Amino acid sequence: MRRYSSDWYWYYAINYTLVIIIIFPIYWTLISSFKKPSELITSEPTFYPHDLTLQYYDQIWNFDRIKVLQDTETVDTNSSGVEVEEKFRLDGEGVKRPFINSAIVSAGTIILTIIVCTLGGYALTVLNTPFKNFFFLLVILPILIPGISLIIPLYKLLKEIGLTNSHLGLILIHTCGMLPLGIFMMRNAFNSIPTSLREVAMLEGSSELKIITSVMLPLAIPGLLTVMVFAMYVSWNDYIYAFIFINSPENTMLNISLMKIALGGSQFEMKWGSLTAGSIVSFLPIIIFYTFLQQYFVRGVTGSAVKE
Amino acid sequence: MSRLRKEQLVGLLMVSPALILLAVFFLYPLVNSFYMSFHKWPLFGKPKWVGLDNYIFMFQDERFWESLKFTFVYTLTVTPMLFIVALGTALLCNAKAWGTTFFRSIYFLPVVMSFATASYVWLWLYSEMYGVIIYALEFFGFGGEKKNLNVWKTGTSSMWAVNAMVTWKFSGIQMIILIAGLQAIRDDYYEASKLMGASRWQTIWNVTLPLLRPSIALALILSIAGSIQAYEQFVIMTRGGPSNSTKTLVMHTVDMGFDYFKLGPAASLGVIIMIILFVLTVIQLRLFRKNY
Repeated sequence: MRRYSSDWYWYYAINYTLVIIIIFPIYWTLISSFKKPSELITSEPTFYPHDLTLQYYDQIWNFDRIKVLQDTETVDTNSSGVEVEEKFRLDGEGVKRPFINSAIVSAGTIILTIIVCTLGGYALTVLNTPFKNFFFLLVILPILIPGISLIIPLYKLLKEIGLTNSHLGLILIHTCGMLPLGIFMMRNAFNSIPTSLREVAMLEGSSELKIITSVMLPLAIPGLLTVMVFAMYVSWNDYIYAFIFINSPENTMLNISLMKIALGGSQFEMKWGSLTAGSIVSFLPIIIFYTFLQQYFVRGVTGSAVKE
Repeated sequence: MSRLRKEQLVGLLMVSPALILLAVFFLYPLVNSFYMSFHKWPLFGKPKWVGLDNYIFMFQDERFWESLKFTFVYTLTVTPMLFIVALGTALLCNAKAWGTTFFRSIYFLPVVMSFATASYVWLWLYSEMYGVIIYALEFFGFGGEKKNLNVWKTGTSSMWAVNAMVTWKFSGIQMIILIAGLQAIRDDYYEASKLMGASRWQTIWNVTLPLLRPSIALALILSIAGSIQAYEQFVIMTRGGPSNSTKTLVMHTVDMGFDYFKLGPAASLGVIIMIILFVLTVIQLRLFRKNY
């Protein structure tokens, strides 16, 4: 493959074809979300938008479903239920509130995961914690049993402690799911830091917490970023927990609200326009993470595959 | 208090948040899922011990066998698709060439998109009347004269449509695992193979693939375990239809628990899924330990 130029042509021809295939669905969604309805809904697709519009983004961002439902109920009290249903379907779904909800849950998961995994990883590596190895095995245990098989007892648990329909419930479940990878990563990160650094800091009279934040963490940043990226990935992309544990419109997560757009809509241009715009809105935060922190995604994948 | 004693206490204090989370959100549900699966859960009142009744109910339910069968068919079809694409892209990215980092980051790109978002995106691509894939397929003569192709019409075509999406979305993960394996192969092997006059395909077949076996096994097991847990892609794209032909095990569990409110049988389904996944993961760990 190295010497013959015709091979190189093939090499790049194949690679660029694959790049186009991979990028195309994303490109197509992006341009669809900006097309005018007449151009979006046509049997002759255009491969770049002739006329740009922001109407779908405006629609899904500023639409307040709860308010519309209330208005419909109070104003059209005489109208039949069919019309309410029709109204509900036509106007689709607002994603502003779900977007904020998802952002809250993701931010909460990231912060809590980092705190819990840093403390845990530190205690299980650097400190002389009793039952260290046993605790580590315990924390790694959830790899063997994915959370999806515990969905029924988890739901019952959340009910018992009153955390269904709450962001805190989701944050705690995601953080617990992050424990194996997170503690594993932080343990590796702390393991590679020479113990003499800690001893010097102790001689200066620093407390354990001070040593973590000012001496150890700055040296463990790659591990920390991997944990952060994965906490974001897990919480932002979750569907099943958000679907089952949250059931009020105010607390809906972004991925679920898109489902409502996909299901509704006898007006095709509104439905597909809103759905593509919504997909882009949901993809945006994670693609920003990916652009800047790509290597940590990769590290996390190989890390999670190599978890002893 | 001695210094050691204090350090031990601090250590316990620091590890306790992780342990409390684990106990509440993992160990307790784990134990409870067995407990629940042996009890009857009426909407009101106390649970009642029913022994294996939930399991018997579940095994006698035709929907269970249908969803189990579909989950296995899906797993067996999507795994080779994922693997072939992943191996191809991994070999391409492992070449000593300009641009491999760029190609790798593009091939990995769909992985970071959420499964739900990817499903919505492809729902649009497959849209009956205005989807670009349907347009392309009809352009090449599929769907007959009338041009009324609809991939969601039959269970089989729905499954292949979802498989294509999953391959696009997930082959990047396996690619990364295979690249890690490829990078661990020493250059000597390739040089020896070159000296012996082997062609490129002979080298791949006789040198690369055998040496890559542990990574291949790992990638396959991960893909199988992931496919058994299939949920989002079918809930969003096919909604289990047409006529329940694309209903997966997890979907069946969720229906049982939250649509029919049969918590006992649903919990026993969870236990079955747990056992299947547990066995797969143990195989994965053993493969890994043996080879590295």
